[in-house]
Amino acid sequence: MIQRETIPAFWYDGLTARRHEGAAEWDGGDNLLLLSETGASMDVALGDLVFVERGALDGSYSRKSDDGFRLVLTGSVPDALAERLPSGQKFGKWIDGLGLPKAAALFAGVSAALLAIVLTAPTWLGPRVPPSWERKIGDAMIGDMGNRLCRTPASDAALAKLVSQLDPEQPVTRVGIANIDMVNAVALPGGQVLIFDGLIQEADDPDELAGVIGHEIGHVRERHVMQALLRQFGLSVLLGGINSDIGTGIFGVAAMSYSRDAEREADEFSRQQLARSNISPEGTAEFFEYLKEEMGGGPEWASWIASHPMPDEREEAFRDAIRGDHDYTPALTSAEFAAIRDACTDDPDVEEFDFF
Amino acid sequence: MDQYSHVESEQAQSAFGFHGTWREFAPIAFTNLLLIIVTLGIYRFWAKARERRYLWSRTRFIDERLEWTGTGLELFIGGILVILLFVVPYVIATQVGQAMIMRGEVVIGAILFIAPLVAIFYLMGVARFRAIRYRLGRTNWRGIRGGSNDRGFKYGWSYMWKTVAGYLAFGLGVPWAMVSLWNERWRAMSFGPMDFRCSADFSPLMKRYLLFYLSPFLLIALFTALLFAVALGLQVDGDFDPENAPIGFLAAMIAGGLLFYLGLGFIWLAYFAKFFRVVVDNMGLGDLDFHFDAKTWDWIKLGLGDVALLVLTLGLGFVFLGYRHWKFFVTHMQAFGEINVDGLTQSTTRRDRHGEGLLDAFDMGAI
Repeated sequence: MIQRETIPAFWYDGLTARRHEGAAEWDGGDNLLLLSETGASMDVALGDLVFVERGALDGSYSRKSDDGFRLVLTGSVPDALAERLPSGQKFGKWIDGLGLPKAAALFAGVSAALLAIVLTAPTWLGPRVPPSWERKIGDAMIGDMGNRLCRTPASDAALAKLVSQLDPEQPVTRVGIANIDMVNAVALPGGQVLIFDGLIQEADDPDELAGVIGHEIGHVRERHVMQALLRQFGLSVLLGGINSDIGTGIFGVAAMSYSRDAEREADEFSRQQLARSNISPEGTAEFFEYLKEEMGGGPEWASWIASHPMPDEREEAFRDAIRGDHDYTPALTSAEFAAIRDACTDDPDVEEFDFF
Repeated sequence: MDQYSHVESEQAQSAFGFHGTWREFAPIAFTNLLLIIVTLGIYRFWAKARERRYLWSRTRFIDERLEWTGTGLELFIGGILVILLFVVPYVIATQVGQAMIMRGEVVIGAILFIAPLVAIFYLMGVARFRAIRYRLGRTNWRGIRGGSNDRGFKYGWSYMWKTVAGYLAFGLGVPWAMVSLWNERWRAMSFGPMDFRCSADFSPLMKRYLLFYLSPFLLIALFTALLFAVALGLQVDGDFDPENAPIGFLAAMIAGGLLFYLGLGFIWLAYFAKFFRVVVDNMGLGDLDFHFDAKTWDWIKLGLGDVALLVLTLGLGFVFLGYRHWKFFVTHMQAFGEINVDGLTQSTTRRDRHGEGLLDAFDMGAI
């Protein structure tokens, strides 16, 4: 213990770039005494040293209190001193402590759990958000559509009749006709349902329209919009760390499978409401037949990445719901249907619907 | 007696040397990749620090290695700061702006859209300055580091007005803006007690810049002439019907389009290679003068190598890009003169405890 160990060394003191050649002396205590050939000396505490990699095989020691200090021991270090010297960090403090395989497995587990939570939690969290909140969020995001919706007194009355048949309990939805020439309909946050004029012009009878509106009301009722909002928000926070499109691409596909389930649920809701109001599902089945022809019946695998189930599957479900010898009542009179069809041409102050 | 480190006058050895190998780097790269994936990207700050520790430690300047003293934690803090100070306000402003436009409040909405863009423009300049400052502050040579007394906020304004001025004269002022900004930011940097000198002039760049500037017109003319010739050749050969063009003609169109962009890229690299040589050749530190010797062809090889690496590994090769770029930079860097190591005292510049978060967010390189 009394024996002094002398190890050849060189060091930089962190004050100038001069290289000090000399030796480090250790008396078994808590300090190293650095003695240079020119007579300068320096005292460093062993507890103050940190290991820094210098090259493939050698390392050096810096000081916690001064990252400019560098000590390189060029001679062999006695075991007793080697035990007192710090070792370096490789991957980072936590990972070095656990070991790489364990740490990687742990991180992967936590990440997978977080992803699973973000993907599944909205399914039960969404329906628990009060509809009045959703409405406020929706109004904040989109606001009033104003004059971009087509409306005449007659079309308003006809739409109201249709909606009250499909959504009789205290309606949370607002259904409007958007002045857009596309075959589409959307459910927006806040219970706002938009039927595009292009779809109305394509519809052959009011039953077809009823099926589509029933489907969109289904999205609102089943809280799919709120769920999608929560899921998207969660994913964007969670995957914000990955600076690439790869992450969003992969998890976008995962989110799509939830979207397909939601579409099936909305179809189911639509069929229930049609049956309740004694409206024939045949019109809706024909609408999906039309969609199928438009899409040209994609390959089987496409259904794995699509946001919606394949139209032929949906057509079949609506066809199966038709009761053969049943006497259905039309959803609207032909005059009411005509009022909806003509809403965009008859509305005097309707504006172009552009999003920008 | 003072100690001197000097560059051998006969240039037996370059002042800068890189002696890393990709075999040695591969375990670092692959474990970084693994940890980045399992942490959903959060480890990339620590990955970057590990990568730099390796690259710096394999880089020799005159007679001693460089050392990287930065940590993953400070890069992480930089990243968090960017999210809090920048990404969150940006997302809120654009969302509110969108809602305002939906409500018909177009003016307020447009302001909420444009103001963040102006802020990004300013912050890009600040970020570039601070990244160099950060890297110099974390680079040790013989225990001495660099840095800057400026914090980059003034440089952000210079960056804005010089960039705008450069583009105003039909884009002809771009070389001036690039060189002047380079001079400005490097003059604010120091290593130890010494300030960097940088007094590059943009005029030697104008010839190559004009070549780049005019090349789209030249290429389009060449391309049209070629198409015309092909069409004419087909016409002589048989009937040429533009509505029903033969496959060879379409292939020529596509190949021509690709060559156009590739050609434009190469001409830009010819300009950029010259730019880099000119600015570095006009830099100095104390009694040292710097020189950069990469030719256009070297830059093209670097770029094509990067693309090949990314394509062949389906993008996962990105973990080797940092290594390639650093090696390229170090092997082409030269210095002449000498350093009085006793006069090279510790830098007194201030260091922030956070990394180059902003620059990382904008995905820009330093220097």
